[in-house]
Amino acid sequence: MRKLILSGLLIGSLGWSISANAQSDYPTLTQINQRLQKIGTNASAELSSLTKTEGGKDIWVLKIGTGEVDNKPAIAVVGGAEGFHVTSVELALQFAEKLVSEHVDALETTTFYVFPNMSPDAYAQYHDALKYERRGNAVSVDHDRDGTAGDNGYTDLDGNGMITWMRVEDPMGEYVISKDDDRVMVKADRSKGEAGTHSLYRESKDDDHDGKFAEDLTEGIAFNKSLTYKFPVFEPLAGDIPVAQKESRALLDYLFDQWNIFAFVTFSPANNLSSPLKYNAGDARKRIVTSILEKDQALNAMVSGVYNETISEKPYQQTNQGTDGDFFQWAYFHFGRLSFGTPGYWTPEFKSKSNSDANYLAWADSLGWEGVYTPWKEIQHPDFPGKKVEVGGINPFVKANAPFDQVGEIAEEHTDFILKLAEMQPKLEIHNVKVEDIGNGLTRISADLFNNSPIPTHSQMGERSRWLRKVRVDLQAPADRIVSGDKIQLIDVIGAYDKVELSWIVKGKEDVSVKAGASHAGFTQSTFKL
Amino acid sequence: MKTTKLIVGLAFSALSLTSITANAQDKFFQAVGTPYMPKVEIAFNRYYTYEGLVDNMKKIAAAHPDIAKIESIGKSYEGRDMMTLTITDFSTGPDTDKPAMWIDGNIHSNEIQGGEFALYAAWYLTEMHADNEFIQQLLKDKTFYITPTINPDARNDFFNQPNTANSPRSGMMVLDNDRDGLNGEDGMDDLDGDGHITMMIRKSPTGRFIKDPQDPRKLIMVGADKVGEYEMLGQEGTDGDGDGRVNDDGVGYYDPNRDWGWNWQPDYIQRGALRYPFTLPENRNIMEFVMKHPNIAGAQSFHNSGGMILRGPGAEEDVSTYNREDIRIYDAIASKGEEMIPGYRYLTVYKDLYSVFGGELDWFYGTRGVFTYSNELMNSYLYFHKPSQGRGQDEMFEVDELLTMGDAFVMWHEFEHPQFGTVEIGGFKKTFGRAHPGFLLEQDAHRNAAFTIYHAYHTPKLSVMDVKEEDLGGGLKAITATIFNERLMPTHASQDLKHHIERPDYVTISGAKVVAGFVVEDEDFKKFSEQKMNPEKIAVANIPGMTAVKVKWIVSSGSNYTITVDSAKGGKASWKK
Repeated sequence: MRKLILSGLLIGSLGWSISANAQSDYPTLTQINQRLQKIGTNASAELSSLTKTEGGKDIWVLKIGTGEVDNKPAIAVVGGAEGFHVTSVELALQFAEKLVSEHVDALETTTFYVFPNMSPDAYAQYHDALKYERRGNAVSVDHDRDGTAGDNGYTDLDGNGMITWMRVEDPMGEYVISKDDDRVMVKADRSKGEAGTHSLYRESKDDDHDGKFAEDLTEGIAFNKSLTYKFPVFEPLAGDIPVAQKESRALLDYLFDQWNIFAFVTFSPANNLSSPLKYNAGDARKRIVTSILEKDQALNAMVSGVYNETISEKPYQQTNQGTDGDFFQWAYFHFGRLSFGTPGYWTPEFKSKSNSDANYLAWADSLGWEGVYTPWKEIQHPDFPGKKVEVGGINPFVKANAPFDQVGEIAEEHTDFILKLAEMQPKLEIHNVKVEDIGNGLTRISADLFNNSPIPTHSQMGERSRWLRKVRVDLQAPADRIVSGDKIQLIDVIGAYDKVELSWIVKGKEDVSVKAGASHAGFTQSTFKL
Repeated sequence: MKTTKLIVGLAFSALSLTSITANAQDKFFQAVGTPYMPKVEIAFNRYYTYEGLVDNMKKIAAAHPDIAKIESIGKSYEGRDMMTLTITDFSTGPDTDKPAMWIDGNIHSNEIQGGEFALYAAWYLTEMHADNEFIQQLLKDKTFYITPTINPDARNDFFNQPNTANSPRSGMMVLDNDRDGLNGEDGMDDLDGDGHITMMIRKSPTGRFIKDPQDPRKLIMVGADKVGEYEMLGQEGTDGDGDGRVNDDGVGYYDPNRDWGWNWQPDYIQRGALRYPFTLPENRNIMEFVMKHPNIAGAQSFHNSGGMILRGPGAEEDVSTYNREDIRIYDAIASKGEEMIPGYRYLTVYKDLYSVFGGELDWFYGTRGVFTYSNELMNSYLYFHKPSQGRGQDEMFEVDELLTMGDAFVMWHEFEHPQFGTVEIGGFKKTFGRAHPGFLLEQDAHRNAAFTIYHAYHTPKLSVMDVKEEDLGGGLKAITATIFNERLMPTHASQDLKHHIERPDYVTISGAKVVAGFVVEDEDFKKFSEQKMNPEKIAVANIPGMTAVKVKWIVSSGSNYTITVDSAKGGKASWKK
């Protein structure tokens, strides 16, 4: 009864986040650009555009650091992997803003890359006259492979400026109205002999007359479905060839030139921070590796622990640990870096509703949120003459994205988490230096190269990748002075709180020094007094 | 008749050629199967640099403007134009309207002769066209896109810079091979300055080798209880970066044939892969060309060596990609190839060779449904027409003694090495072993070109035939047409059908008012599947090889109608009443 009243109130309301006031809603691309320019005026931040998308929109990167920025371990923060996930862009932006204004001290040891929005073409749909959850860029693509590109997108059948759902009364349909909440459609439980009553589609017409609905969207390729790891070739929004888009190529080309990145934090639907990825021995052993490696799982679990201590919201239904062709998995499986992902925001568990839509609506009701739901309303549909067709359901964006007034707090906590991760970065130190005169002008030098960090210099996957440098130890003395020991030594990995023993015998009495490190693990230097 | 044609041809050709051909008629007599008075003279017993290949290609295009044109399909990493010849009889329609064959070579830069073999194919097609009816018909029906070198930068490096027979396999991009933070700081050093990177040996009291007393070129191991005289030091070079290893960071390393976008895997799984598929501009140019030319139905990528006709899959993980119906066609074409090219065997990459992820032939087939082979050119069978005895270098020493008269070997000679002291440098030249010696080049080029021509011949050929009318009364009549594909390949490989890679073939009737349209599934039992939308343009999923597909319309008017078939990979054909 209460529900009914609430639903009634929603009709004609201004809406949840789609209000006109700029300060109470997610920024437009223009507003994002202005904020980025402002961050870019900071001495420690360098703003550059990697490319322009097919839709003519910039792909920005902020490189934030001080001093020798390329020789300090770095964390890359990525937003907008999914265009509909507007919260992720705001989280990345606010992280950058807080970093340059409140946490400059972190730049003494760490460099940060912030890629605030990888899907600007799709993001723009949030502020468009017709609002829908968009993933694809502005490239023209024939998703259903019928010879004509984008010839069956959505249609706003009820004219409310949003794409929701349509249900068609149909004894052959697979859906029924939820007993939990009559606003929600659920799949009929055929295992219990339950018959369906409705077919359910995205709000659309069969524009290309092939019997299918909204199967050839007017959007292009989705960034988060078109990278190389498990690339879903030929699927809608993925296309024929991975990393074929301007934005994905520009990003990867840039990343492959930044040797100092040791970890990624990606704000996207995939989550390995609330709980770590699961190790599967069989999949990890296969030639094409599809499981996190064993040692890396332990690292993931440790970082996940830090995340859960830092973030106040208890995880709920965080089962997405990666989807085919996505960025978050690419960063680990194909780029060999530590990769952490979180949506940053999710609906908390409420009144033990197991269906996520019902849970969301119950929670939204309890907070009195308006504009999150469109009541089912009958319309005349040209493709279903004589059938009852209704349009309605949860509005776009509201479930995947935080109400704007909550983003500040989420960004605060996630900034704390990223800074804690930075504090854990690999840290090379030289200890136990021994300089022994062994007679006849010869000196033996020995020292321990110590990684004073809970994170190894190379993850197990990183050790395999040619795109991470080895730890290089250079004895800075002329070759003819080195009697034994390597002038240049390459070390595959130094484990967490682990060490490598170094030793040389040198001739002569001039001091020599040693430099050790790798861009993503940082460098240390020491001079030996002979 | 022939003579008349020849005279007409000559009348149109450049004046400067006239005197040469007049002399040629006096001095030469045609050997069967070879153009004996080519407009473009090319010696096929030597190798050509990138500039040499392009020069010949430009001459071919200039001499045969009606059947050949040349274009750049993009720039290489170092900015060279990647030149492609399009060869077809342009008087019978644009190249894009005909089923096409893609031919390339030299993806691995040390695998040079793919360049000459592809060039030979272009030369042969254009020079034989005037006199040979088979070639005339072939170029009416088909298009050839020929790119002799798809790795022009490193092709030149192979010839003009010191190298071994195995270097460079990559292009000229320089990476950090030893992961020390520096790129290409320890490349190969041509200590003796002869353009060949050979081997280094050194006299040593603890060495295990001696020079063979009967053949001083050979280093042989002494008996277990004997003291030797030499030790092996490995490749000619120095430790350029002071890390204790010789030549450990030169050009590359990456493999252009691990850079393609089908089942691509990163370097730790597939050594040689770059950042993502089509990182290399050379491969990206080809990919973009192929995506813009959906008429490409067959492809050949020449490699060396070993005498193989290879098909995919490159990796066991892709076994299910290659479907039975398509393998049947692969087998039929390649088994003819084994007959045409003695010593060559038809093999499948993943099970007979090694695993390749992200290879070119898998991309052509997997992403485009194009029937593709890679021929691994050159085979030791060609030396003595005997299968290899597995004697390795001994066989090569024999070849160099009897057939190439010592031209293939750099005799051991002393050199003062900055790190090793007095060493001897010597060994086989870079141009021996993998590359054909000159006297074998033309013959093997012809055989391989003939195989690609056979391959191209079996891309689909469609015709509209056997059009029948039946009066249905009430002003209606039924029109049935047969679309026949008289070649081995289907218009859609089963891979293509599985993923709807290319649009269906369209069979269209114009000049008639269509009431209903059908694909005929069984004419005798009157089984039809109706196409309700746009019945005048029937979409046919596939026209298999050596098979006919029937369509039927019911029309209410029209006595002068035209039926056309339009297939992306099968070309176009029409029938007019």
